[in-house]
Amino acid sequence: MNSVIYRGPKKWIILAPALIILVAMTIYPIFNVLIVSFQDWNLLKSPEPSGLIGFDNYTRAFQDPDFWNSVGVTLIFTIMSVSLSIIIAIAIALQLYPKGIYRTILKACLIFPYAISPALKGYTWRFMLNPHYGIIDKILGTLIPSLQDVVLLGTKSGALFWLAYTEIWGWAPFIALVFIGALDMIHPDVFAAAKIDGVNKYQMLRFVKIPLILPVLLMVTLLKTIFSVKVFDQILTLTNGGPGQSTEAINFFIYKNGFKFFEMGYASAQSVLLILFMIVFAGVYIKTVMKGDSNA
Amino acid sequence: MNIIKKLLSKLVSAFGLLVTTIFVFLPIIWLSLTAFKKAKDAYSTSLFFKPTFQNYIDIFSEPNTFSQLLTNSVIVALLTILIAIPVATLAAYALSRFHYRVKNLLLIWLLSTQFIPPVVIVIPYFVLFRTLHLMDTRIALVLMNLSFVLPFATWMIKGFVDGLSITLEEAAFVEGCSFMQVITKITIPLAMPGIITTAIFTLIQSWNEYLFALILTRKDAITMTVGLNSLVTDRGVIWEQMSAAGIIIMIPIFIFSFLVRKHFTQGLTLGAVK
Repeated sequence: MNSVIYRGPKKWIILAPALIILVAMTIYPIFNVLIVSFQDWNLLKSPEPSGLIGFDNYTRAFQDPDFWNSVGVTLIFTIMSVSLSIIIAIAIALQLYPKGIYRTILKACLIFPYAISPALKGYTWRFMLNPHYGIIDKILGTLIPSLQDVVLLGTKSGALFWLAYTEIWGWAPFIALVFIGALDMIHPDVFAAAKIDGVNKYQMLRFVKIPLILPVLLMVTLLKTIFSVKVFDQILTLTNGGPGQSTEAINFFIYKNGFKFFEMGYASAQSVLLILFMIVFAGVYIKTVMKGDSNA
Repeated sequence: MNIIKKLLSKLVSAFGLLVTTIFVFLPIIWLSLTAFKKAKDAYSTSLFFKPTFQNYIDIFSEPNTFSQLLTNSVIVALLTILIAIPVATLAAYALSRFHYRVKNLLLIWLLSTQFIPPVVIVIPYFVLFRTLHLMDTRIALVLMNLSFVLPFATWMIKGFVDGLSITLEEAAFVEGCSFMQVITKITIPLAMPGIITTAIFTLIQSWNEYLFALILTRKDAITMTVGLNSLVTDRGVIWEQMSAAGIIIMIPIFIFSFLVRKHFTQGLTLGAVK
C-alpha cells in the first residue's frame, strides 16, 4: 500500500467529519446500551431510568425461557439458512459456470433476489405461501399430495423453515455469483489436466473445484452466518414471530421487549449479550479481511 | 451409445437450468403478475387475466399515502448520499494516503460497525429522538442510516483510492497545488467511477432500510418499505396493492443494482471477496 507521511493537522481535519458521525452513531449507542443494561427502566412508567439494579437484567435474561427460545430460533435459523444457501449456491454455480448466452443472462439476474428489500421479500413469500391462493402452496399441494391440506406457515417448524427459505432465496443466487467469480479465477488448464487424469464429475467437484474455492467458501460462510444472526425485517413481514414464538429470532425478541413492552433496560441487556456473541464472528472476519487488505 | 449419453447429459443440464430459473424468478414474476391483476384475479392462481393499472392508481390515491411514502423514501435516500459520500470520500482519502498511528484501529472500527445489529443502535436513539422531538422526521432516518452507510462507503471508496497510483498526486504537490486542490482536481475525478458505484450501493441500502423507519416513524416520515405494512388490514392483506407497491420498490433497485453488478460481490462482502 502506498502511504505518504504528510505532516500537520490537515490529515485529521479531513478525517474529522467521519469520525464525529461514527462516534455518535456507533460508539455512543453501544456505551449507552451498556449503561442502560444495568438499570431498571420501563419507558411506559418513567422517561428516565429508575436506578441501578446491577446484573438483574442479565440474570432475568438467563432465566427467561423466551430469551432462550429466541437463542434457539436464531441458531436453527442460522444453521439452516447458512448450510442450504451454500449448498444451493454451489449447485447454481456449477450450472451457470460454463459459457453460453442463456447462462450469461441468468448470471446477470442472480443479483436481483438479493437486492430486493428484505421486508418486501417477507411479504412476497407470505403471499405465495398462503393456504387459499398461494402459488407455492398450490404447486407443493399438486406435487406432494400429503401437503395439500397443510398450512405451510401454520406449524412451528414449517414457519421456521420457510423463514429460512426466504433468506436462502435471497442469498443463494448471490453466493453462487461469488463462487462463479472464484471459479473463473482458476486457470482452465487445471480442469483440463484433471480430466486427462480421468477424474469423474463427482471427483472433479469434491477434489478439484471445492478445494480451489475453499478460502472463498469459508469467507462467505462466515459472512452469511453474521447476516443470518442479524435477521429481522422478513420475520416481521413473513410471520411476525409466530405461530406462537416459533420464529422470534434474537433481534426480533429485542425489538419486542424494547418497542412493544418498552423494557429499555431488559432490551439493552439482551443487546449487550448479542454484541458479545457477534464479536467472536466479527473478529475472525475482520482478521481475514485485514490480512487480505495489507497484502494488496 | 455415445450420442445417447451426450443427449442425456444435455437434457440433465437443461433441466438444471430450468430449475435454477424457476428458483430465482418465480417470486419476482409472481409479484409482478399480481401487481397487474384485479382484486378477484389476485386471489386465484390463474395465469390468464385482463391486466389493469388500477392497483397503481389505488395506492397513490386516498386512503393510501404512497405518494408521500415515495417522496420520503427518495428524500431520505438522497440526503443520506449527500452527507455520506463527501464525508466518506474525504475520510477514505485520508485513510488511504496518510499515516496514522491508530490507523489499524480505525479500519477495524469501520469494519466492525457492519456487524452491529441495527436494533441495538436504535434503542438509545429512540429515547433521544423522543426528547428532542425528532420522532417521525426524515432527518432522524438520515442520521440512523449514516450509522451503517458511512463506514461502508468509507471502506469501499478507500478500496478504490488505494487502487490509484500516488505519483500523479505527488507531481501536483511539486507543481504547487494545494492540499484540497489535489483531492478535488486529481483524486476525486480519478476515483469517480468508484465513488458513483459506492453512491449507488448507499442508495440501495437506504432505500431498502426497514427497521429504523419502522421504529422511528409514525405518520409523516414513513418510507415505502414500512408503508407496505399499511396494506395489512383488519380484513386481511390487500395483495394486489401490496404487489404494485412492491414493484415500485423493486424496479429502481433492479436498475441500480444492474448498473453496479460488476462490483456487487466485492461491494457487499466489503472487499473480502474480489
